[in-house]
Amino acid sequence: MNRDKELANILNDCLERLLQGETIEQCLQDYPQYAGEIEPLLQTAMAAKKALAIQPGVEFKARARYQFQSVLKEAKPGRGLPFFSWQPHWAPALTIGLALLLAGSGTVAAAGNSMPDSPLYPVKLATEQAQLGLTFSDIGKAKVYVELADKRVAEIAYMVNQGKPKEIEATVQRLNSHLTMIVSLSLVEGAAPGEPPAEEATPRLMQAPAAEVAEAPAPQLAETPAVEPAPEEAAKETPEQAEAKAKLKELLKQNKNIHPAVLRALLDEVPDSARPALLQAIANAEADYQKALEALDDEGDEQGEKRHGEEGD
Amino acid sequence: MQEEQSLTHRAREGDKEAFAQLYENYFDKIYRYVVLKIGKADAEDVTQQVFIKALQAIASFKWKGIPFSAWLFRIAHNQVVDYFRKEKKVIKVPLNESSSRSDSDPQQMAERSLDIEHLISATRQLTRAQREVLGLRFAGELSIAETAKVMRKSEGAIKALQHSAIVALRKTMSRTGNNEPR
Repeated sequence: MNRDKELANILNDCLERLLQGETIEQCLQDYPQYAGEIEPLLQTAMAAKKALAIQPGVEFKARARYQFQSVLKEAKPGRGLPFFSWQPHWAPALTIGLALLLAGSGTVAAAGNSMPDSPLYPVKLATEQAQLGLTFSDIGKAKVYVELADKRVAEIAYMVNQGKPKEIEATVQRLNSHLTMIVSLSLVEGAAPGEPPAEEATPRLMQAPAAEVAEAPAPQLAETPAVEPAPEEAAKETPEQAEAKAKLKELLKQNKNIHPAVLRALLDEVPDSARPALLQAIANAEADYQKALEALDDEGDEQGEKRHGEEGD
Repeated sequence: MQEEQSLTHRAREGDKEAFAQLYENYFDKIYRYVVLKIGKADAEDVTQQVFIKALQAIASFKWKGIPFSAWLFRIAHNQVVDYFRKEKKVIKVPLNESSSRSDSDPQQMAERSLDIEHLISATRQLTRAQREVLGLRFAGELSIAETAKVMRKSEGAIKALQHSAIVALRKTMSRTGNNEPR
C-alpha cells in the first residue's frame, strides 16, 4: 500500500471513530508514526463538521413540512406518486370535457387567437389542455408544449405592446411551466427508446394527469433528476420515434434561436414591474431549450455523469 | 439500512406515511448539503425542490444496489446544478483584507471555531469533486460506501478524495486568514 493511500485510510478510520465519540488523541494512539500529519487534518475536519452543524429555521421547517404534506395528500395510494400531484384530480377531465363541450360551437375557433386579456382566453387554455390530454406519447406531448411555448411568446409580445404587466407575468409563468415540461419530457425521451430508460428516478409521464389548470399555471416542479439507467431494460427506437424525435429537435432549435431574441427585444418596452419576470423568462428559455436538446442528443448515462460533474460555478 | 429499504419500498408503492418518514429522516441533511453548496439565501427553496422531485420520481426508484440516500443526494446534486444554471449564479468568494495573509498559524486556526459562511467561502477554493465529497460526508453524513455510490467512484477513490479535500481545506483556511475567533 503506498503512503498516500495509507494516510487516506487512517484519516478515514479516525474520522469514523471521532464521529462515534472517540477523541483525536485516542485514535492517534493507534497510529503514532502518522500523528503529526493526521492530527491537524482531523482538527480541520472537526472544525468543518462543527460549522456544518446548522439547523433549518423552525419556521421554514414547519412551512416546508406543511407544504410537503399538502402535496403528499394529493397522491393516489398504490399507484406511485403522481407527476402533478398538487392539482385536483378532476382538473384534466374537466378541461377536456369543457373543450369537447365547446367544440363545434365556434367558440373554440374564436378563442384560438385570443390573447390573455380576452374573455375567451380561458377557452383557449382549456382547448390546449384537451389537446395535451389526447396526446399520449411523451415525445408527442413535448412537441405540443414546444408549440404552446411559441404561442406564449407571441402573447407576451402582444401584452408588452398593450402595457399590461399582470397579464405579462401570468403568461411568463405559463411559458416557464411549458419550458419545464419540455425539459422533463425530453429527459425521459432522451433516456427512453434507444437508450436505457431512466428507471430509477424518472416517472413515466404518460401516467400523469394531463396538464395545468387553465387559470392557475402549475408551479415549476416538473423537471426530473438525472439518474442511473437500467441497461437491461433498453428498448429499440422505432423509425417513427426517431422521426418524431428529429422533428422535436428541429422545433427546439428554432425556438432556442428565436424565443430568447424576441423576449430580449421586448426589454425596452416592458413595464418596470414585469421586467424581472421577463428577464427570468429569457434566462429560462436560453437554459431550458439547450437542456432539452442535450437530453435528446442520445447521451444517456454520459449525460447524467456530466450533470453530476457540473455545478456552474 | 433494512428499515430504510422497507420504508423506501413502501413509499414506492404509494405509502404516504413511509415517504413522510423518509422526508423527516433526510430533511436536515439535505438542507445542510444544499447550504454548503449554494449558501443560506436560497437553500430553503432548493431543499424543498429536492423532496418534490424525489416524490415525483419515487414510484420508479429501484433498490439495485443503490441506497435511497445515494439516490436522494444525486437528486440534490442535480438540483444544485440546475440552480446555478437557471439562476446563473456565481458565488463570489469574499476577499477580505486578510485574504492574502500567509502567516497564519494552521494549528491555531484549526483550534478556533469556523462559521458556516467562512466554510462555504473556503470550499469554493476546492475542486468540484473535493467540495462534493465534503458535502456528502460532512453535511449529508453519508458513509464512504454511500458517497461512492453518489459520485460513481470506488470507495478507495472517495477516501483519497476526502484526504485531499481536507488537506486543501486546511491550506485554504490558513491562506484566507480564516482564523479569527468567532
